[in-house]
Amino acid sequence: MSLDLILRIGTKLILPFILMFALYVQFHGDYGPGGGFQAGVIAAGMVILIAITFGMSAAKRVAPQAVVERMVPLGVLVFAGTGVVGLLLGKNFLDYSVLGHDPVHAREWGILLVELGVLITVSGTMTALFYAFVERGR
Amino acid sequence: MPLAIDVLSWVLIVLGSFFTVVGGIGLVRMPDIYTRMHAASVTDTLGGGLLIFGMMLQAGFSLVTLKLLFILGLFFFFAPVVTHALAQAALHEDIEPELAEDRRGRAEAMD
Amino acid sequence: MALLTLLAVATIAIVRQRSLFGVVILAGIYSFLMASLLIALDAVDVAMTEASVGAGISTVLLLATLHLVKATEMRPIHANWVPLLVALVVGGILVWGTISLPPFGVADTAVHQHVAPYYLSRSIPETGVPNVVTSVLADYRGYDTLGETTVIFTAGIGVMLLLRGMRRRDDNDRGDAA
Repeated sequence: MSLDLILRIGTKLILPFILMFALYVQFHGDYGPGGGFQAGVIAAGMVILIAITFGMSAAKRVAPQAVVERMVPLGVLVFAGTGVVGLLLGKNFLDYSVLGHDPVHAREWGILLVELGVLITVSGTMTALFYAFVERGR
Repeated sequence: MPLAIDVLSWVLIVLGSFFTVVGGIGLVRMPDIYTRMHAASVTDTLGGGLLIFGMMLQAGFSLVTLKLLFILGLFFFFAPVVTHALAQAALHEDIEPELAEDRRGRAEAMD
Repeated sequence: MALLTLLAVATIAIVRQRSLFGVVILAGIYSFLMASLLIALDAVDVAMTEASVGAGISTVLLLATLHLVKATEMRPIHANWVPLLVALVVGGILVWGTISLPPFGVADTAVHQHVAPYYLSRSIPETGVPNVVTSVLADYRGYDTLGETTVIFTAGIGVMLLLRGMRRRDDNDRGDAA
């Protein structure tokens, strides 16, 4: 029985709830406080908790370094892509009302998409920064 | 009846704040890291729990109470785990706890 | 008022503290107090972001940085009276400027007359999203949010480039089994 058994069990219990809370904050940004930035930070916090309790190799199994580093520009691409889609369909840049059958719903979907982009970039950046700092010190 | 709930919730909130303040005083006045951790953790868990319970009574039967119940459960579960992690980190750094014999020896050496 | 006093105390403690570890913890405390202040001002979205970023990730990343550098600040070479004077003068000008602002929370000040009612009245009919902060951030002023995301992206890429090139030769994963 290793010394940090309590910590490992406690972390294992809370980890899925942290991820669920991050997704809850992301998708309820429309109805309450929330949005992409907060959700991205909470999701990155989950990966950092795994790294602290179980070691870097466990964290890299959950969030591989290559995937995380690709996530950073992917979010910006999603965001700008949503804008360009508006451009291609004949209206202004970042005009969401052309994305669906009805302008109000289309704008809701546009908001969801851009918040997704923000989530991807923020969580990817925070996790990649943490990996970079820890790798540098070894 | 609502007045009784109100008074009870206020008593709980005041008690909770009192325990938290006592924990803060203990944090400053204790001589050693382990005793400080013990003071902060026990009083914070109790004080925080009483505060949340008092807030639950203030909110009545609603969604807010359910959320506060979850926060209470989380808090009771994780405040001691965090203290455990802190104490493990201090042991890892080879910080020895100050035993009563050392203090008595120091006090005798000073007279 | 009490929160503002605590904020000032935390800032002075940050400046006077020599140990960088203490500075990092005090910065976390400062962010937490700032988040409480923002909740007292009814700005819950900003408070949530400030709490999660400032008191959460920022403290963790600063501690990871401390792992790489020395843990004490260098003693300053000469006394810094001129910066103190400049800071006091600029602070004084700011206070003098904000004294003549209308009182907080009054609904019929000049700044709340043109843009705010426009967004408040048209947010639900046009976008169907009740949270006006999100609809303004992501829809009406979506270009600014694109800029913010690009800033985060650039900062992340910059730091990763700086820290990657100096990785040690043997970087196979020795996970630390505590």
